Amino acid sequence: MWRKLCCVAAAALIAAGFAASAEAEAFKLKGDPKPAWIYFNVKNDGGWTQAIDEARIRMEKDLGYKIPFVEKVPEVASEITPAAERYIERGHNIIIGSAFGYSDAFKDLAARYPEVAFLNPAGTTNGPNLQSIYGRTYETQYLCGMVAGAISKSGKLGFVAANPFGLVNWTVNAYLIGARKMNPKAELTVIYTGAWNDPVKERAAAQALVEKGVDVIGQHVDTPTPQVVAQEAGIFGTGHHRDMREFAPKATACSSIWVWDQYMLPTLKSIASGSWEPAPYGAFVHVGGGADIACCGDMVPKDVAEKVMAERDAIIKGKHVFEGPIVDQSGKERVAAGATPSDGDLWGMDYLIQGVVGQLN
Amino acid sequence: MEFATFWLAATPLFAVPLIAAALGLILNERAGVLNLGCEGIMLCSALAATAAYLETGQSVALGLVVAIIAGAVVALGFGIFVVILRTNQVVTGITVVFLGSGLTGLIGVPWTNVALGGLQPIHIPGLTGIPVIGRFLFGQDPVVYVVLALVGVVSYALYRTRIGLKLRAVGENPQAADADGVNVEAYRLFAVMAGGALIGLAGGYLALASAKIFVFDMTQGRGWIAVALVIFARWMPWRALLGGLLFGGIEAVIPRIKAEGLPIPQYFLEMAPYAVTLFVLIYAAIRLRAGQDAPKALGVPYVRQDRR
Repeated sequence: MWRKLCCVAAAALIAAGFAASAEAEAFKLKGDPKPAWIYFNVKNDGGWTQAIDEARIRMEKDLGYKIPFVEKVPEVASEITPAAERYIERGHNIIIGSAFGYSDAFKDLAARYPEVAFLNPAGTTNGPNLQSIYGRTYETQYLCGMVAGAISKSGKLGFVAANPFGLVNWTVNAYLIGARKMNPKAELTVIYTGAWNDPVKERAAAQALVEKGVDVIGQHVDTPTPQVVAQEAGIFGTGHHRDMREFAPKATACSSIWVWDQYMLPTLKSIASGSWEPAPYGAFVHVGGGADIACCGDMVPKDVAEKVMAERDAIIKGKHVFEGPIVDQSGKERVAAGATPSDGDLWGMDYLIQGVVGQLN
Repeated sequence: MEFATFWLAATPLFAVPLIAAALGLILNERAGVLNLGCEGIMLCSALAATAAYLETGQSVALGLVVAIIAGAVVALGFGIFVVILRTNQVVTGITVVFLGSGLTGLIGVPWTNVALGGLQPIHIPGLTGIPVIGRFLFGQDPVVYVVLALVGVVSYALYRTRIGLKLRAVGENPQAADADGVNVEAYRLFAVMAGGALIGLAGGYLALASAKIFVFDMTQGRGWIAVALVIFARWMPWRALLGGLLFGGIEAVIPRIKAEGLPIPQYFLEMAPYAVTLFVLIYAAIRLRAGQDAPKALGVPYVRQDRR
């Protein structure tokens, strides 16, 4: 009887010990890092994916080896899994994704291939060998909003946004907060197109804003159309995802951009050295750590550009864009004076602040 | 008043691709060929227009001509399958949609995401300045007037010419038409190609005027709306014009209502065109009159030896 009990106790102890050691063990990469990238769209989509591809090319130069990629892998597990497995079979041990819709498939792959590291920009899932990353784009859009507020003559700004999600709503709100820092009377009219990638709707939305008399158009959609319309109308615009000067050189005053090598290079290094520890709720990177601004166009006065860059430094040092009091359109206080919203509150941002014309649903 | 002026002026940008594509589909379906590949043909011709425009020193006219040819060529491919080889029209049509999407994504890389000057509206001093309707009626780009004329041409051809009569006969009762000496396959192929040319015009206009840029999958379901519009129009060109203007008008008013900050739920606005379609379909089904039904032989491959 005692012997039996002892055996059970010993077995339990050993099992517990194994479990504990497995948990404490940091992710170890076998061999040299061999990253490969999976894009959900074409590499020259002009926005999100193109910013990723440009980072990949810069990283290749910096790292001295090639990073293979595959384009247009749609956001379904039956397409993502074979693409990732093909790379793993070829000896790649760091698989990088590119989309929100990859979250579940990457979670599944990470569990099945514990010796492979998975990174997924715009994803939502995390694990011992899986990290999702998104940028605090409210910081970069806030800085672009400052530029917009400073160069607007009428104080009437416009914004073309995609879908009313937290991560879009925060860019709209931060844009106005930034604009009001330079012009306290600034107003922002936002149009949600309800699509990420529909240039016909984006053109109509930007045109409607022009007709309403705005003189700077900001954006958070996937094509450069709002900037192009701004240039046609002889007004200014600020871009998102990439430096939009390429498409509308005369109009683009500033762009909120992705600089993925800022995040990927140090992360690859830490994965290789064995010190990588994925954040359990995802990496949420600040300006300068994966998201940044391309500032500024020729129409922006030098002192404005300097102010914006000084504010960028202040944010890197810890300043929060949504420092209270933040009041929504209905007059309800959402962030108390002196307080700052938690990351959870940011992701769930389901309101527009006072001074924004437009609605979420 | 300014609101109405801008709204009406912007309506054709949305309406013209729908009207041209629906007109093409009416030609197809009147001859008995169900072409669900509209979305794919529009994508191919949108890319063709963009590529031709960019590679030939930015000629809009040439871009549109190439779009029309591209539409007819893709439709000919579809026609060879469904008319000559008698494959299932629904499956073949859907294949064309995926083919168009994939093919344009693959070969369209150099012309994707390039801002286009594109098609510009005309300006008639005096007339364009008339309040509310001035810009709507007299301040559009030339293609708007061409498509308007095409509605008349197609309508006349279908109902007032011998060729139109034979084409409709092929779609209603190919056996009888065949017995009367009409070459069913030739008429169907012709209808598919002519319809494809009109769908091609729709795709080219979408890229060169509505969006002034080509991006992957840019039709965003507009080809499917054209398919619905044909049923909405009971296969009649004039009704397709009205339906297209209605849809275009709704699409054009949505961003303007949003810009005014009017408290109308935006999901309701986005839903409006489809809700309107549904209501009209129900109304039409209740009050169906003779001659408003779908062509009897729609979607049925014709085999001369078929016993009934």
